Amino acid sequence: MTQYIIRRVLQSIPLLIILSFVLFAFTNALGDPLAIFAESRNRPTQAEREMLIRRLGLDRPLTEQYLVWMIGNDWMLVDVRGDGSVMEPGTREGVLRGDLGLSFVTRQPAWTRIEERLPATLTLMIPSYLITLVLAVAIGVYSSLRPYSLLDNTITGLSFFFFSMPIFFIALMTIYLFAVQFPQWGLPGLPIGGTGDGSLGDLILHMLMPVFCLVAIQLAGYVRFIRSSMLDVLNQDYIRTANAKGLSGRTVVQRHAFKNAALPLVTLVGLDLPFLLAGAVVTERIFAWPGMGRLFIESFERADVTVMMAILMLLCVMVVVFQLLTDIVYTWFDPRIRY
Amino acid sequence: MSTINEAQPITAIPKLQQREYVKGTSNLSRSLARLRHHRMAIIGAALLVFVFLFTVIGSFIIPEPVSRYNDPARALLDPSLEHPFGTDVIGRDLLARVIYGGQISLFIGITAVIVQMLVGTIIGVAAGYLGGWIDAVLMRLTEAMLSIPSLFLSLIALRIFSDPTEFPDFQFMGRAYSATMIVIIFVIGLTSWMRVARIVRSVVLSVKEQEYVTAAHAIGAGSLRTVLVHIVPNCFAPMIVSATLGVAAAILLEAYLGFLGLGVRAPTPTWGNIMGQANSYLNEWYFWFFPALFIMLTTLGINFLGDGLRDAFDPKSLR
Repeated sequence: MTQYIIRRVLQSIPLLIILSFVLFAFTNALGDPLAIFAESRNRPTQAEREMLIRRLGLDRPLTEQYLVWMIGNDWMLVDVRGDGSVMEPGTREGVLRGDLGLSFVTRQPAWTRIEERLPATLTLMIPSYLITLVLAVAIGVYSSLRPYSLLDNTITGLSFFFFSMPIFFIALMTIYLFAVQFPQWGLPGLPIGGTGDGSLGDLILHMLMPVFCLVAIQLAGYVRFIRSSMLDVLNQDYIRTANAKGLSGRTVVQRHAFKNAALPLVTLVGLDLPFLLAGAVVTERIFAWPGMGRLFIESFERADVTVMMAILMLLCVMVVVFQLLTDIVYTWFDPRIRY
Repeated sequence: MSTINEAQPITAIPKLQQREYVKGTSNLSRSLARLRHHRMAIIGAALLVFVFLFTVIGSFIIPEPVSRYNDPARALLDPSLEHPFGTDVIGRDLLARVIYGGQISLFIGITAVIVQMLVGTIIGVAAGYLGGWIDAVLMRLTEAMLSIPSLFLSLIALRIFSDPTEFPDFQFMGRAYSATMIVIIFVIGLTSWMRVARIVRSVVLSVKEQEYVTAAHAIGAGSLRTVLVHIVPNCFAPMIVSATLGVAAAILLEAYLGFLGLGVRAPTPTWGNIMGQANSYLNEWYFWFFPALFIMLTTLGINFLGDGLRDAFDPKSLR
């Protein structure tokens, strides 16, 4: 087991390095991160601009920029004026030492930018994910026990309906109904936009609609997944044996069927969890939710390479970590599996 | 079966057998028969035919310039007989825009999937058939691409390759198109081939050990011929299913990109970029409702049909 974990970690290192280089090359090709200064009131002069470019290392070849991003440049001197007259030591420590760099736009550390947005994203994503899982297990198991009944067919039809719906459609309809029409009908409308005035009650009011939309969109896929894996298990011989030896239906479902059907679910959850950190780009946009998805779009629009790289690499590392965790949890749930 | 036949007069046997053989020996015809009895697949196909006819017949009734004609005096009109879907913020007829945008959205969805299938199949076959370090590298690449949300990936790729100075608008059959349309096809195709590659690789891995592949090699078939004639056809069933569902995913991705205002640019309308313009006109429900409705009808139809295809092609679902 330990050997397996070590091997997996070692395997993921080249993956992360290649991935980070490709992403670095792509994000750097997005445009001029200094374009933002052209709009600002105290626009830098040409000389200042060139100095800034040299300080940031933007004049260096891509591979060198990448190395600086990786291991920092505090061990080398930066030629600030371009003629060797002023040599400054570099200030960056590099990603390997935990320095994700400064945002080109706000000059804050990229990690600070993420820290500002991560809580908002998690308050949105974790509750909606938990609600999705609980509902999906309940509905999926229930409909698998009555396959092809009227109720099962209704659930299947509905899950396809929501599964096919673009999230902005359901979100706009929800907003139109609850935030636009309700007040016109004299009913209390729901607030939209942002996270509220800071009190818990207001936060929950603001969360109602986005969480509803996220659950509605995600639920369908999980319900179908659980239903089909439950149906697979329910056709197994050991379920017939359990029924034949007189166990109650409840015990059969809970202890024999669901435990086995939940195994593939563990994999699915393990693969999906890291992406919760990415937030929901479209949902956050519609509900003006200050989360990670919006941060990515904002940095994308301003070619803020360091922040984009920080978000992307955070995701990649989390995907690797969660895949490993899934494998470990799997052996714990299913003693048949050994590495 | 055999005992019954033995009991019968010998002359009856060929007839009986013949009739059975005619009715569905091939896997394909059996699959199609199963598909015809799949209620949801039929509903899905009907929805798709409806959407398709809507965009085709609509373009015969309403000429293309209508979708471009703008008149600020009639901006944001409610649906009426004259403008069944209302008008947009600069006074263009939304019905015409949904029809012509739909053509582009469907076109993008289908062509992007063709790109995705080609790339996915080539990578999957290369990884599965050649094996060794090529397999290792390609599968790491696949994993790597899977670990980034496809929306993020396509946003970045789209920005890099959609510089309007390098790719100007072009004319085709009397209509002007934005080059971003072509770019977005490749961006969607090249950021979503990973699942196809995995499916193809797993099929190739199991098929290449079969006797008939060895036999093909033994009678002197080259690698390319073996792959194309004997191995790839085995992937068709899962590929058709994944291509069908892929069209829905591509149309949705285009819609999301358009909604964020980063998709296909003017003058080409798509369902996605109509949504992007309608984004801030929440009170004018018709502005966003109709394009979104058609996106939903399309993806719903595709998902129904795809589910039916999966059942039809899966030998386990015979029951």
